[in-house]
This record gives sequence, structure tokens and C-alpha cells, in this order.
Amino acid sequence: MSSEPIERRVSYLGDRLKASRCQCCGKEYFEIRDYCSNCGRRSYGKMESIDLFYDKGILELATYINEPTNKFAKLGSFVHGIVSFHGGQIRVPARITDQLICGGKNLDLASLEGREVIPRFRRRYSVGKSDIIPTISLAFTLADEYYPYQEYKVIQPTKDYELPGIVGYGMYSSRFRFKEEAWEHAVPFTDEDSVTAAVEAGKLALIHSGLDSALIGKVYAGSESNPYAVKPIAAKVAQVLKLGKEEGDVQGVDAVDTEFACKAASSMFKDACALVSYPRSGINYAMVIGADNSQAAPRGCPGGELDQFVGYGGAAFIFGKHDVIAEVESWYSCTSDTPDFWRRDGEPHPMHGGRFTGDPAYHKHVRKAASKLMEIQNLKSSDFSYFVPHQPNPTFPIRIAKDLGFKEEQFMPAIQMTKFGNTYSGASLVGLAAVLDIAKPDQRILVTSYGSGAGSDAYVLRTTSQILDKRSRQKVTVKFLADNPFVEYVDYTTFRRLKQGM
Amino acid sequence: MENRPAIVAVGRTKFGEHYGKEPEKLIEEAWLAASNECNIERKHLQACYMSDCFLPITNKLGLEEGFLSELTELHVPMEITRSFSAALMTACHAIQAGIYDTVLVGGIEKMSDRWDKIRDDLMLLDDPWSYYAGGTPESNHELMMRAYIQKHGIKGEELEQLKIALAQVSVKNHANAIKNKYAQFQRKISVDQVINARKYKPLGLYDFAPMSDGATTLVLTSETVANKMTNRPVFVLACGSATDYLNYSARADLSRFYAAELAMKAASQTAKVAPSELQLLELNDQSTMMEMVTLEDIGVCRPGTAWKSIYQSYKNNQLAYDVEGKQVYVNTNGGLKADGNPLGATGGAQIYEIYRQLRGEAEERQVKLPALPKYGAVVEFEGFGTKAYVSILGEKKQ
Repeated sequence: MSSEPIERRVSYLGDRLKASRCQCCGKEYFEIRDYCSNCGRRSYGKMESIDLFYDKGILELATYINEPTNKFAKLGSFVHGIVSFHGGQIRVPARITDQLICGGKNLDLASLEGREVIPRFRRRYSVGKSDIIPTISLAFTLADEYYPYQEYKVIQPTKDYELPGIVGYGMYSSRFRFKEEAWEHAVPFTDEDSVTAAVEAGKLALIHSGLDSALIGKVYAGSESNPYAVKPIAAKVAQVLKLGKEEGDVQGVDAVDTEFACKAASSMFKDACALVSYPRSGINYAMVIGADNSQAAPRGCPGGELDQFVGYGGAAFIFGKHDVIAEVESWYSCTSDTPDFWRRDGEPHPMHGGRFTGDPAYHKHVRKAASKLMEIQNLKSSDFSYFVPHQPNPTFPIRIAKDLGFKEEQFMPAIQMTKFGNTYSGASLVGLAAVLDIAKPDQRILVTSYGSGAGSDAYVLRTTSQILDKRSRQKVTVKFLADNPFVEYVDYTTFRRLKQGM
Repeated sequence: MENRPAIVAVGRTKFGEHYGKEPEKLIEEAWLAASNECNIERKHLQACYMSDCFLPITNKLGLEEGFLSELTELHVPMEITRSFSAALMTACHAIQAGIYDTVLVGGIEKMSDRWDKIRDDLMLLDDPWSYYAGGTPESNHELMMRAYIQKHGIKGEELEQLKIALAQVSVKNHANAIKNKYAQFQRKISVDQVINARKYKPLGLYDFAPMSDGATTLVLTSETVANKMTNRPVFVLACGSATDYLNYSARADLSRFYAAELAMKAASQTAKVAPSELQLLELNDQSTMMEMVTLEDIGVCRPGTAWKSIYQSYKNNQLAYDVEGKQVYVNTNGGLKADGNPLGATGGAQIYEIYRQLRGEAEERQVKLPALPKYGAVVEFEGFGTKAYVSILGEKKQ
């Protein structure tokens, strides 16, 4: 059984690692304090609220845990220790995550001590199936490994645009991969899920945009693997990333989850654009996140065919009309009631229509959306520098791209599913992120997503000169994640175990 | 200390796994032993001070006083504390204040009744954030060992000697427990066994005290009553206590127990017994590291040197530690490691041991300096050094 008030308080403090600083003497405390014990009464009302979410710490002491308490049993073995921030002003207990430790033979605790670490937003521990899922950011990774430290610096926008567009983006995927044939799938660590990926992607998008998170007026989280049937991912994202203006302990932001199989997020690009363009919305920026811990039954079970393509991760895009890196010029969407892939409520894994997921489903809708949009806009495939297709497997996107007349150099940079697997709601978004990572100013990009059930969204984007200005702010590019030397490959059994999560 | 309280009888059960016994059976057994020893009946008791740490959790007993009242058919004031030392201190205060002259102090724990989740429950004694970050009941001990190594710059051969010294703590405690019929473990272990059990961790299975069931009691009286009952009362010369942050990571110095230092200072001042006069100690070896660090925190060894004294005892194949030419006997009952650690009852066993030693009743374990020791001290912690209690027992100092 979960205690709802305790979960609220612990995640309110722990997801963001909230702390306090005395404005009289400068002493800092983990958690929120109303007064400083150095200064006593005179510090009352003078405690400044700070947090460690974007900070980096030092792993001061480390030990290795191979017999965890019951709720951590699924993690097996891990490193636990004490992390200090701000030169030792604040020290917190810590769990080092993203490490598969078997036996601990090669673990040198002394060599871990003194290393820089960064907080990661993760699941806290295992709970019962009907309980609230506890989260925390007392999970840390080594700053010089898979996920580097990046400063979050707020930069005032300088340029206004007539059309709305992308002002920042970020892609997140996990450190672990399962490799087979010519492709790899990203595998979440035990403490990851679609919610943690959504938060991480959003965090990276904020860092890239340099935007004050308080200016974001709406957040859409698209996923088909929300661990809850009822409880929005977007609310967690809004709280952890402090989207919208903070009013006491609530955020002045509208947050909503969307669902349409793999196009749950791409569908909202136009809504985000419309919202920031509507003069009376009072919203200047909107964030769209697509993230999934892509579900599939194990091989050999019904629906298990999908298992050879599933991935993990997602991407977040911030839309607005200031300091735009890619304007959204136009869009077209189509929909039909085509049951090619579905998951009934309460079922852990989706089912799909086998051979009918191709021609009457994916190809029909993607072709329609792409060709119709080109027709409306009077554009040819050669007018685009890049084509980003939805990518559920390695063959569909290539076939549709060729059908539509695109050349390899136009679409291959977008094909990322061979590196991360099919990230479902994140799939076309990750492809787009990969293209934006390399695009030059004034280039056209055609993006098409596909959602089973079925429908497709097509967008025409045009990059601006600011795409180059912002590039240096993002170390964690799609290529960085794909070619990362710290990626760890796991076998099939480990892949399924990790995917099962906590 | 005015109106000095005195211990006139002690009783205990064997520590270990009492699979077939309810908690009340254990406390009854311990009480009967003490009662027989001093010929006191239940009706003579004016109050009871009992300690348990987890009975509400392990045995769903939330109002232990009522349960004791029913068991004893007594309706006197009863209070519950978490540790035996806390119960003793409270009882001493009442006797010194002249409120009572004969009280029962007891402790009980039944940890094996919830073997399935006792390690999670033990995390109640730590900061919740430590639990949320995957901490275990053992992890802070290991982190403090790392902090100790860092602070004193111990490396190379010295580090290997430190590791042996910590193993020796456990080996010595097991050797002592062989001579204690109430001890949970009565078998000899070797330094190699302790070290091998660590595998790749700073500390291992043999560095930590076990989970135990058990009960302990003592009868505490005023000086006047004690003198009528026995010609060799053991006086409680002082009880000192201190408190530290629950959150270990937030403490100023991660390499030691500040609360132990403060508690010893308070007790030592009241008892007018300097730490250097103490050659008989019962320390709270929840881990071998804790026994070592406590020796320094209470001022028996200088900071950074306890492991050297312990290592020397290993080299000399001695059970006593050699501290600057003086023999110091620590945990002659086997300590928490081998005697057992039923939290609420543990301090009672420590006091039991000092009581026996001071009266020359410790049989094979008897410490001779060569005369009987005059004083003995008990250090008990609640949690990981969050609360420290130091009780100094001995003969009346004029």
C-alpha cells in the first residue's frame, strides 16, 4: 500500500533534490528548511530555496551493496555512497545507477571516490502493482561516463519569428543496448521507464534551448507505455522540470498526456504551434515529449514478433516564436480506423496485425500524409534536404522513402531505429532530432510519423540560422548517444530482465 | 552522583533464534533469573523500565506496557524506551530523584520473528533518504570505514593490517563467546574466514553482528536498599548520553561517532573516572568497524590508532588490546558479534557482563588485572551512532 501524502512529499523534495540556503550566513541544507540552525530566529523567512537537479556532485564515499533491502532486490548489486555538493556544504546518500555489477570482482571503491557524479531522475524502488510508483533523483551516474554533465544556462531570446517553430530539443536513451544482426536496441536500466525518459528528454531540451522553464505554458507527453493507466506522465515532467511559473508548490502550466500509438507526440507539434501563435493563449512556449519503454511480449509468445525491434527512449521539442531553430511551415494529417496494432487495457503487451501492419497500415497512411502535404505546398522530394520517416523497423522507412522519391542522403541520417530500436512515440522524433543535429540553416525537412490505429502526421520544417548558434549547447546529440563508448551491451536474458524494470 | 543507584541482580536468556518462544516467554525467563538472584518478588517492584526497538513491528505489540502489566499482574508505572541503556538511565534518574527505591529494568527483542523483512525494518533507525538511496543496515558501517581510511590516509601494507585488525575484532569476540553459555555463537573463527567472507566488500558477514532474539533484566535499587540486600552491589556511577543527526551523511565528520565522545565525556565527568582508567569495556560492535572507531571516540585510544592496538593483539595472539602498554578488555562476553544483538535487550547483556566481571563471577571469562577490575563501561548506540549512551559501573568512589 502506498502512502499518498508521503509519496507526494518525498518526490516533491527528492525528484528535484530541493535544498535551502540561509541568506544570513550562507549555510546550506538538504531538503527545505524554514530557518537556519546557525542563525536561529533571525533567519526565519530568509531561507532561499535552491535545488541540486542541474548540479554535479562528488562521490565522497562508496561501498558496494550485494544484498539490498527487499525493495531494491531487483537491482541486484549496486554502488551506494555519499555525494557532496557545493564543496561539501550539502551531503546526501546516493545510489549509483546504470551499472550492471556481477560479483563486484573488478570494482575498486577507492577509484570511484572523488569522481564527479550527476543526479538522475529514476524510480526509487519496487512497489506492488497497484501502488504509486516512487521516484527520486538520489540516483547518480558518473559525469565522465555515458551521460555527461551539462550546465543549464538561461539565455534571453534575441530574435522573433513570424512562424512558430522548434526552439530547442533533446533526445534521451539509456546506456544499455541489445545487439542483433545489423541493429541495436536501447534497453532501459531497471530503474527507468517511460516517465523517467520523458523527464530526461525534457531536461536536455531545456538545456539546449536555454529557455527559462517557467516560460513554458503547456507540456504534452505522448507515450503508449505509461506505467499508469490513469495518472499523467506530463504532471511528473512539469513538477520535476519546474515548467511554468512556480506558485507555491504547484506549477503554473497546463500538462496533458496524449495517446495515439506511435504518433501520440508528433500529433501535438501542430497543437503546440497553434497554441504559441494564438495571441490570447498567454503561452509563449510549449513542450512536446514522445517517450516509450516500447512494449513487446517475449519472443515465442503472441505479439513477440515486436520484441526484435523494441527500443527505449524519447525526445522532447520546445515550440515557440523566439530564437527558433526550425520554423514549422505547414502540416497535414490523415486518419482511418485501421486496427493494425493494439493493446487492450490491463494487458502488458501489444498485439499486431502481422503482415497487415505494412501496406494497408504504415505505408498507406505515411504515403498519404507525405504526398498530400507536398502536393498542397507544391513541393517535390528534391526540395527537401532531409526526410524523416516514422521507423518501426529497418525496412518500412526505407521503402516508403524510396517510394516517395527520396534519396539515401536525404533519409538515411534520420534512420535511428537501427541504433536505439523502435522507440514508439519517440521514433520519428528521434529521427528528427538526429537530422536537426546536423542540418544547416535554411534547409527544408519533411517529417512523417505514423500511429497504429491508424494515422500519420506530416510536417514541413525549415531551419534558421540560429540552429548553428544553439548547437554548441548540446553535447548529448543523437550521434553522441549512438556512438557512446560507455554503451554497455547485454544478452537477451538481461535485456528482458532490465526491460521488466522494478 | 548523589543517592547512587545500584544493580543488585541481573538475568538474561540465551541469545539466538528462539523459534518456538513468544516474546513474553523470553522476558519471563530473564526476570526469573534476576529475581532468583536477589530474592525479590514482583510485588516489590515500584516501576518497570523496559526497552525494545521493534516489538511493535515484529510482533504487532504497540503498547508493550499493557502487555507487561498483564504478564506480571502489576499496575505500577511502566515506561518503554528503545535501548536498554536508555531504560537504565531513566530508571537511575528516578531513583536519584528519590521517587522509587526498587525498579526493574529490562529489554527484549524478537527479530527472527520477521526474518523476511527485518533488514528493511532496521532502516527505520536510519534517515529515510538513506533507505531511498538503496542503503542497507550495513552500508553506513562500510562508508564510515572508507571515511576512516581516507581521513587517516591508510594505504598499502597499513591498509592490509587494518583489514586484519578488523577481522581480529570478530575473531576475538567469537573466542570470548565460547566461554559464554548464553552467547548466540559458540564457535571459533579465523581471521581468514572473516576476510574471505568480505568478498569484494569493505566488510563482510563476519564483520557484522547477527539478528537475535533475547531478553535481559536487572534489578536496580537505591544505595540504601542495595546495602541491605548484598554486600557487593555494583553502582551505576554515571549515565551519559548524546544525540547526533539521524542523517549520517549530514554529520560534520563521517569517520567517527561524535555522540559517543560526548556521552563518554558526560559520564566520565560524573563518575570521576577517566577513560584511561577503563580497562573493561563493553562496546557496541554492530560491526567490527564500530568497535574499533568507538575505542577512539570514547578516548581510550588516540584518533587513528585503535586499529594498531588491535593489530598488535593479533600479532601477540592475545584477546586483550594493548593500549599504550595497558591491557584493555573489550567485549569479554563475545560482543554483539558473537553474544548476539537483540537490539532492545543488547545493552542488558553488556551490563550483565560488566556486573559479573566486577563481582568476580565471570568464571572462565574473568578479567584479572591482576586484581578484579574496579570499573567497567558500557557503550550502547541507537541507530548508527545517532544516540550514544555510556554507563560507567563500579565500586563507590569516595
